[in-house]
Amino acid sequence: MILENLRSALEALAGNRLRSVLTLLGVMIGVFAVTTTISLGAIATAGITGQLQAFGNQALFITPNEDNPASTPFNDADVDALSRLPVSVLRQRSVRGVARAGTEEAPLVVNGVTANAPQVDRTIKMARGRYFTEAEDRRAAPVMVLSADAREALFPDDPNPVGREVSVTVGGSRTFYTVIGAKEPLTGAFSFAANASADVPLQTFYLAYPAVTRGEYPFLPITVSLERNLGDIEAQVNAILARRRGPDTFRIQTIEGALTLFKTITTILQAVLGGIGAISLLVGGIGILNIMLVSVTERTREIGLRKALGAKKGVILQQFLIEAVALTLVGGLVGLAAAIGTLYLAVALVPFLDEVVLSPFTVLLGLFVSVATGVVFGVWPASRAANLSPIEALRYE
Amino acid sequence: MSLPWGGGRDTMRPPVIDASGLEKVYLMEGGFEVRALRGLDLRVEHGEYLAIMGPSGSGKSTLLQILGCLDAPSSGSYRLAGEEVARMDEDALAEVRNRRIGFVFQAFNLLPRASAQRNVALPLMYRGVRSGERAERATAALARVGLADRAHHRPNELSGGQRQRVAIARALVTEPDILLADEPTGNLDSNTGQEILALFDVLHDEGRTVLLVTHEQEVAQRTERIVHIRDGRVEASERVAPAAPAPGGAAPRGAP
Repeated sequence: MILENLRSALEALAGNRLRSVLTLLGVMIGVFAVTTTISLGAIATAGITGQLQAFGNQALFITPNEDNPASTPFNDADVDALSRLPVSVLRQRSVRGVARAGTEEAPLVVNGVTANAPQVDRTIKMARGRYFTEAEDRRAAPVMVLSADAREALFPDDPNPVGREVSVTVGGSRTFYTVIGAKEPLTGAFSFAANASADVPLQTFYLAYPAVTRGEYPFLPITVSLERNLGDIEAQVNAILARRRGPDTFRIQTIEGALTLFKTITTILQAVLGGIGAISLLVGGIGILNIMLVSVTERTREIGLRKALGAKKGVILQQFLIEAVALTLVGGLVGLAAAIGTLYLAVALVPFLDEVVLSPFTVLLGLFVSVATGVVFGVWPASRAANLSPIEALRYE
Repeated sequence: MSLPWGGGRDTMRPPVIDASGLEKVYLMEGGFEVRALRGLDLRVEHGEYLAIMGPSGSGKSTLLQILGCLDAPSSGSYRLAGEEVARMDEDALAEVRNRRIGFVFQAFNLLPRASAQRNVALPLMYRGVRSGERAERATAALARVGLADRAHHRPNELSGGQRQRVAIARALVTEPDILLADEPTGNLDSNTGQEILALFDVLHDEGRTVLLVTHEQEVAQRTERIVHIRDGRVEASERVAPAAPAPGGAAPRGAP
């Protein structure tokens, strides 16, 4: 009986193909919006979280409090005090200049950093050569590690520039460096930060750019060893800096904090888009309601006949409910397929999305939502059909 | 009160229709009542072939609806094949219609998108017969009305007469106690109408109980008995003398 009802439902829908398609459009868009929103949120969260955690969530990033005019850059004494904690602190200064290698010329950011940079900044991965050592830093060796973008700009034909020479002009004075390494390109969530830059030892940097004040740092990246509790370390860092510099003169950012912020934004976006999806489902449902009422009226005689031949109320109710659900389910399936296609497209196009995460929950939710729309908005027309008197229905012209 | 002309072909079984004191009151807008049936009595025995005639407004349609279990009387008793149905609720009536009554309508009332076979199988579906058996029985019923080769045609691929044959097959497929035909030739030209009436003659000759509702004297004359309805009562019930001795079925009977 259910199969036969399903068959007549599909025949009825196929008999009014254009009308059916237009009707299920609303449900299609609704299911599409709801499932895309939920999945995209999950995919983005998974991608960003995974990448940030690979970077190391045991990290702190300290900046002066820009709202406080009394706040000053950090100095060596600050770094020395913090270094007594079980942490690794990076000292870093930067200048902008123009680099030349052979006939190539490109703008370049030169970072003077200590040799512990690869331990503090986990995004540093070497494609060629090596990073510089503490010994090279101490004796101010003129060596340089290129970012992937810088390598591409200065040595477009040479993937391995180790041993070659680069000159950097800053404020009219020119310095020569030997390339000892090239980094891998930044990936995923960090790719937006990619630029043409080069790391040189901090002591070399001070020697080459005497205009830069020694021992002043606009920010301090800190890495905490994994076995330590990040919260405890954060509290100790806070205490040390507050004692040395005064309260409210600095800010401590954590990856956890960034993640929380990101998750909040994602949740708000999901709520907004989900709301739009819900509204279009409502509109789609009203479309279903409307078309089912039309269908019941059009088929009044058919309903009368079926009742005359022995169909009970429940059977007629079932028939029209199946028809409404078939309509919304087809809409839901198309919407779901479109959503999955969009997700794959988004992952292919957006750099910080890793892979399509399609939870069975999302698929089931999409199907459930479409079936529920059919039931909710089909019940009234179906019960109208079921309650038609067979005599009235047979007499209906 | 029973009527004197119970055919008595099968006295062991209760009459197919045993209605007494049927009343039907419709409450119209404005609060006034219309009494469509005013204590109507009717008895139909197994194997009878009868026609119900009456002018419009006589209560003929109301009677047919009640006899067909499409509606319940306001009062009175209606025993259908021995079963009291006058006080049944809607779902129980649906079951009785399915089990005991085969309807043939003036407008055929076939499902336009379904093949002849599926149209015929429809009542079996509501009875819960499995789909394989449904198809088998529907095919047999179609063969019975001479449409074995049209089983997979849709109504719009069939002529008017063929459509009415499909409808008759649909009425027969459940082996009902009675065939109720409401103006079965009203939408057909006279030649095709004769063919359909001949089919009813044959069905009667096979022992089926057939009740025709008609306003055409010529149609009514083919039956064994004509019941005239007026003002919600049976006005007269007359036996029709067989005009031709040979009950060939296809040849018209009754007065020309």
